[in-house]
Amino acid sequence: MSVTAAPSPTPVAAAVSRTEREATGAVPILGLFAGAAVWLLLALLLALLCSLKLHDPAFLASGPMFTYGRVHAAAEAALLYGFGVPAALGVGLWLLCRLGRTRLAGPVVAAVGALGWNAAVAAGVWAILRGGGSGYEAFEMPGAVAPLLLLSYVLMGICGVLTFRQREAGALYPSQWFVFGALFWFAWIFSTAALLLLGSPARGVLQASVNWWYEHNLETVFFGLAGLAPIFYFVPKLTGRPLHSYDQAALAFWMLVLAGSWGGIPGGAPLPAWLVSVSLVGTVLTIIPIAAVAMNLYRTMAGARPAAEARACLRFTGAGLFFWVIAGAQQAAGALPPVGALTDFTLFTTAQRDLFRYGFVGMTMFGAIYYIAPRLAAAKSGAPDGLWKGWLTQWHFGLMLAGVAAGYVSLLAGGVWQGVELQNPAQAFAAVMRGSMMGLRLSLLEPWLLTLGLIAFLLNFALLLNGCRAGGRREKPGGPRPRKEGA
Amino acid sequence: MNNGPVIFLGLFFSMAISWVAFVLGPQAQLAGLQPARTVAPVPAGYPNPRPGLAQQGELVYRASGCVYCHTEQVRPKELGSDLARGWGVRRSVAHDYIYDQIVLLGTQRLGPDLANAGLRMDAMAVLLRLWDPRTVNHLDAGHSIMPAYKYLFDVRKIGRAPSPEALVAAPNWAAPAGYEIVPRPAARALAAYVANLRQEAYLFEAPPPPGSPAANVLTTATNAPAGETNAPAGGTNGPAAGSGVPALPGGTNVSAPQTTNAAVK
Repeated sequence: MSVTAAPSPTPVAAAVSRTEREATGAVPILGLFAGAAVWLLLALLLALLCSLKLHDPAFLASGPMFTYGRVHAAAEAALLYGFGVPAALGVGLWLLCRLGRTRLAGPVVAAVGALGWNAAVAAGVWAILRGGGSGYEAFEMPGAVAPLLLLSYVLMGICGVLTFRQREAGALYPSQWFVFGALFWFAWIFSTAALLLLGSPARGVLQASVNWWYEHNLETVFFGLAGLAPIFYFVPKLTGRPLHSYDQAALAFWMLVLAGSWGGIPGGAPLPAWLVSVSLVGTVLTIIPIAAVAMNLYRTMAGARPAAEARACLRFTGAGLFFWVIAGAQQAAGALPPVGALTDFTLFTTAQRDLFRYGFVGMTMFGAIYYIAPRLAAAKSGAPDGLWKGWLTQWHFGLMLAGVAAGYVSLLAGGVWQGVELQNPAQAFAAVMRGSMMGLRLSLLEPWLLTLGLIAFLLNFALLLNGCRAGGRREKPGGPRPRKEGA
Repeated sequence: MNNGPVIFLGLFFSMAISWVAFVLGPQAQLAGLQPARTVAPVPAGYPNPRPGLAQQGELVYRASGCVYCHTEQVRPKELGSDLARGWGVRRSVAHDYIYDQIVLLGTQRLGPDLANAGLRMDAMAVLLRLWDPRTVNHLDAGHSIMPAYKYLFDVRKIGRAPSPEALVAAPNWAAPAGYEIVPRPAARALAAYVANLRQEAYLFEAPPPPGSPAANVLTTATNAPAGETNAPAGGTNGPAAGSGVPALPGGTNVSAPQTTNAAVK
């Protein structure tokens, strides 16, 4: 494998045409980001409602629509399918264009796909609240909606693959492998789950194994690849350092798709013992890609002094990477039988999931969006970019970091306590639950803080789009801050 | 790593390995499971299809998102305190679920495991908990975080003929004077489902604990109908006296399930 140049150096001659190239994909990609942000707001409000209901079960309990189980399912669906997948696709498509030095293939098709996807998510979340959810964790979308989701995904995915194919000749950068892998992975796991859970449901516990396999692959592999792609792009680019090692990146990539795709089965599940063991081995082996990525990127950015403009994006990206390492290490530790005996089915798992979803996926995606959105808006409207309000970005980051940390620490502490207490059978389950209420109460901070942070982002995003529109119309130069291009 | 097709092939085979191992393999091994001959030949074949009402209840269970707080799987003795807690007489195995249309094993326990809820509660006890977990569940009075499902019930003035399906009084709960609380069909279905959850037959892959009476004497007590194995409605958490005890086949530690039974919500 040859060592390629640092990501996307910017020849002067290419600068103009890059703006043109990026303008092609601006509408679908910005649309994906806008939809993702709105869905995240909804997901957080639903998560907030869930938390409140754990403190006061009588809150909004008069009707079936807002009962805990349905709200929880709807929040999860809105987070994973409303926010996570579209944000990952938007970032991934942009990376394929940028790194392949090409236009987005089929922007209209991608836009149609994005619209269809969002419409399907809306229908799905509504159906879940009305009691039509599938009941499978992380795969709650009802059977009628899943085909539309898959179709919309395929439309966007085909654009991604075509963009990948029409790339300029030259070496592939790791982010391209990661995006390509993510695109492929989701199509396979989602269609498998749709077929074997909704289409013609598998028999008995096979539903559970398919469901766990799907969830594990969705998070560890799909979101893992989709989140690492921008990390591998932005860390070298914004610190101005070449990536430390391509070989380590390749090792991480292959280990993540090989070992990361084996897992998700809790120890002691009523499934064949060999399946539980294979799952355990795969989950523990994900330590290898985690270590490889962490070392590689640490060596890449250690000691770098990024420019002020780069810091906003880099802060989010760096935090996302940090949380990915923590969440992955926790997942591997929790898979070990002596640990899992304590922590399975407790808040320990919840802490890990939330850290992965908000801390890793959320942070990484926002880091990328902070970089990508102004450039796309500028490319489209012709106005200078860099129109983010810096103080809003800082508030977003601070609130999000505080929220993720508060939620993680309180749920983790509550989960470990719960696990240890439950080991003693003389300790009544109800009493243990009462005891872990403190952790649950403190974790209520998380959706609050994340919601506040997201409001800062939405405001910022609206100002950006508005500024660019106004700038494009009146040819008014200059946002508050000049743009800094390249590394 | 600069060749698109090579990367694609690598991804394809990685995915294929995972898919064969986690989707196809278990399918090949388990899809053909037939009702087992039980070690304790109690319900002659095990399991039996759920009654129609319980099958409908499975749908209510799914639609209400019960799975986000309750698991339906008992882990083996080495993993956690599930068995010592009285959540089952043996670990859960694949055979237990072959007749379920929707299998929601769950991964989160904000409430207790329900794999054997039917061994602890009858349908009326489930209904009382659905109506008001905080009041009715006197073991956890005022603290339960389970939401009330009052929308699954009708509050009616008692007419000339009280409804035979209305909730019966519990030790610390009674319907308001002159009124009766009547479960709607969805509530009755859900309660029938939960009360039907029982993994009590010993199987080849889930044998009785060695040395226990059940391992030697294949008692027919495990076949006792629900009315005998469960404490009566309303007093579900009281110590299951008399016929209840031998019905629990975990013979070696008869006292343990009993104490924990009282602790189980």
